[in-house]
Amino acid sequence: MSPRTANRRIRLLLLFLVAVFSATLVRAVWLQGVKAQSLSRMALDQHREQVTIPARRGTIYDRTGLQLAIGEQATTVYADPKQVRDPEAVARAAARVFRLDAAKLERALGDRSRRFVYVRRKADPVRAADLKRQKLPGLGFYSEERRIYPLGTVAAHVLGFAGVDNEGVAGLERSLEPVLKGRPGRETIVKDPFGRPIDFISSVEERKGDDVILTLDHTLQANAETVLRETVWRWRAKAATAIVLDPRTGGVLAMAVAPGLDANRYDRASLDRQRMRAVTDTYEPGSTFKLVTVAGALSERIVTPKTAFTLPYSIQVADRRIHDSHARATEQMSVARIFSRSSNVGTVTLAQKLGQTRLARWISRFGFGRRTGIDYPGEEVGIVLPPERWSGSTIGTVPIGQGIAVTPIQMASAYAAIANRGVFVRPHVVDHVAGARRPRVERRRIVSRTVAAQLVALLQNVVAEGTGELAAVPGYKVAGKTGTAQKPDRFGGYARRYVASFVGFVPASSPRLVVLVMVDEPQGAIWGGVVAAPAFQQIARFGLHYLEIPPDAPTG
Amino acid sequence: MVDYVAPRAARARRRRERELEVRGFVRRLDWTLLLAVATLVGMGLWAIDGITRFDIEGDSNYYVVRQAAYAALGTVGLLVATVVDPDLYRRHKRAVYGLTIGLIVAVALLGAVERGSRRWIDLGFFRFQPSEFGKLLLILFLAALLADRTRRLREARTVLTTIGLALVPIILVFLQPDIGTALVYVSATAAVLFVAGVRWTHLAALGTTALVATVSILWLLPAADVHVLKEYQTERLTAFTNPDDDPGGATYNANQSLTAVGSGGVSGRGVLGASQTRLDYLPEHHTDFAFASFAEQRGFVGAALLLGLYLLVVWRGLRIVTRARDAFSAIVAGGIVGAFLFQVFVNVGMTMGIAPITGIPLPFVSVGGSALITNLTAVGVLLAICARGQSE
Repeated sequence: MSPRTANRRIRLLLLFLVAVFSATLVRAVWLQGVKAQSLSRMALDQHREQVTIPARRGTIYDRTGLQLAIGEQATTVYADPKQVRDPEAVARAAARVFRLDAAKLERALGDRSRRFVYVRRKADPVRAADLKRQKLPGLGFYSEERRIYPLGTVAAHVLGFAGVDNEGVAGLERSLEPVLKGRPGRETIVKDPFGRPIDFISSVEERKGDDVILTLDHTLQANAETVLRETVWRWRAKAATAIVLDPRTGGVLAMAVAPGLDANRYDRASLDRQRMRAVTDTYEPGSTFKLVTVAGALSERIVTPKTAFTLPYSIQVADRRIHDSHARATEQMSVARIFSRSSNVGTVTLAQKLGQTRLARWISRFGFGRRTGIDYPGEEVGIVLPPERWSGSTIGTVPIGQGIAVTPIQMASAYAAIANRGVFVRPHVVDHVAGARRPRVERRRIVSRTVAAQLVALLQNVVAEGTGELAAVPGYKVAGKTGTAQKPDRFGGYARRYVASFVGFVPASSPRLVVLVMVDEPQGAIWGGVVAAPAFQQIARFGLHYLEIPPDAPTG
Repeated sequence: MVDYVAPRAARARRRRERELEVRGFVRRLDWTLLLAVATLVGMGLWAIDGITRFDIEGDSNYYVVRQAAYAALGTVGLLVATVVDPDLYRRHKRAVYGLTIGLIVAVALLGAVERGSRRWIDLGFFRFQPSEFGKLLLILFLAALLADRTRRLREARTVLTTIGLALVPIILVFLQPDIGTALVYVSATAAVLFVAGVRWTHLAALGTTALVATVSILWLLPAADVHVLKEYQTERLTAFTNPDDDPGGATYNANQSLTAVGSGGVSGRGVLGASQTRLDYLPEHHTDFAFASFAEQRGFVGAALLLGLYLLVVWRGLRIVTRARDAFSAIVAGGIVGAFLFQVFVNVGMTMGIAPITGIPLPFVSVGGSALITNLTAVGVLLAICARGQSE
């Protein structure tokens, strides 16, 4: 080998060296300069993971401290189909434990393109532990909270429902979501290449949702539901609603709907059954609405309870003929008698004296045509025609509760105002949030103490000698009013279907309970005094005894 | 009196001559190369210190202490190799070749199996990997063989003899199996033939044969269901051509390595922040993937500095080739530099996804005593050649 050849070859090697060195350097610039950010991101993503720690949902208590809605530990079972070695065996085992469809599960577990399949969400922890002990590869388990309603059907409508993701979807669970939810915690964990956590970098601790204490009383609620169920059954009615209010505070002690449903299976009930009819449904009130007309006439000093009128069986108002419910001869009636006999002609006569403008103002003053502001979601407004849209005959229908739509809670609140010596209190279901102060409840006077007292006396008469005799509770003075209304049909007329209602309060001398009962489409009898008054009586009597309220009309 | 003076003066003169000789020897050493290698060893220790900080629980210095000890041993090797006249190796080429084969056969008989391959002899305090020393021994032998046949270099017979003798250790190492080291042997053989001045036509024929063999082994034969390599080896070697296939499997190492290099960015994430290394996402980060780990911790700045040092070493090595006093020395230097160049850039290239993944350690950085000692000794041989070579 000549030195020249050698030198030439060394120069070639040198050239080769420079070439590979440059290529390497360029590659380094590309990776560490241009691609640095995306590659760093990849490095970060593969070893850090954000984990959300769910917050426990607040408990809902009734007035007495009983748990109505609680969170319970459940175990969610999932599978990673890629790690499931024998889909058939795993599916069979899981199906046996949870009573699932094995074939369907096997199909899901056999789908290897997926990395996550729920086997059973929020399963019973004991059963899940059984499955876990079998150590089947591919199955995973984690704790999750499951919402439980220990009382089942009791107050189901009021409580509503928290869904599978522990998120309120109906009722109080929905409206109280921000309170009950709490704040989930977060944890950043560092994983090793096998996915095992080795370090916790940062964490935000979860905050449990706040507990809520309701004004509801589970005993009164359960009783109201039982009474309604029997009433619906007895009269083969379509549905029934009851409200029990404490007139002094506006607190709802019971709010029941029949037919009922099981809160633990809330989402399986039809939407129709899920409705909290006391708040979200409207009805034509009929005679119970006469209270407003009479209260207006008394407050405007047009009449006193004793003022007498000579009233025929029927009168003509514009294009309509208004008559009383039961045929009678023309007779003299005092305001008290008009009320206790529930005379349509008499009430319309009073309304005519009051006039359209003032009547409309009194309707509004009692809270009809706007929401009561109850803390339950989905409250309806009702339908109240503004005075400028009244026709000539409206003054013959609205005063007696026709051609107007109200919600049961509006009606109960109006009667509660009279029971509360003329002061309207916003009805509410939530007493307070645990750890927070009891919120102030708005109040406003709607009639004077004197008028309120006069109205209480009139309402007592109804029960003592009028249409509401079946509402009487021995030992107590009962004030109340019957209502029977024909339901409007789809064509703007009236069908032969009725709503029978009774609303009143006890004890009349110092009212503690306002009770409204409304029965939708009873069969066999239609009268509020026959269908609804006995239910009122049962609920009121039970409440008086349960709350140990002393009698105000001792008998014997 | 004169009689007494004369031997004394002669002794003094001889002593003076020896002194001058030693001084000249020392002066003729390539101090730039020595300094570059010293820096490289220092940087390697620094790198290993960072890379292996979290590998052994409770002993963060486990690897760096051992590596430093090997560096010290290697320095002894370097000194000895510098002092020994390389011609000694030429004269005893048969012994050199015998030692090469003997060591590798000894591994096959005595070696410990680890992860399916037999590469080490466990000496208790030291895991001795003969194939690393074999790299240097093979170069020395092949250089001697060719230097003794200078006149017949252009004959195909010489080339075939050389290849035939080189293939024995290559195949033995390949069967361990240790493809990486076998490839280094191949590259050393190629470098030796190239520097020795084998005809271009012969080189071209060899190159073509190698290419055809590679393509056949990796792609053609497996397609015909003949497997020379184990399947995982083929997968690993070909994975870099399509890194997005199966990121959890065959290309896992390659992708983790790229991620490590890239996330180092310009200035590196430091020892604590380099999660790929610290959390063990990057496998073999203290051996085969040391460069990726280093690039993650020290960034582009560190990587470029390291590459610059390698460039300097190779350049000085090539310079020594041109200054060698005889053909043997030149071929030895060329073989050492060629093999070194191959190891550095195939290793770095594999960590950055531009070369196949083969188990080749990064010289002076990867943890491993045998490799470090061999490399330092090889540098000693280079220095010896330099000091005995033509002055400028």
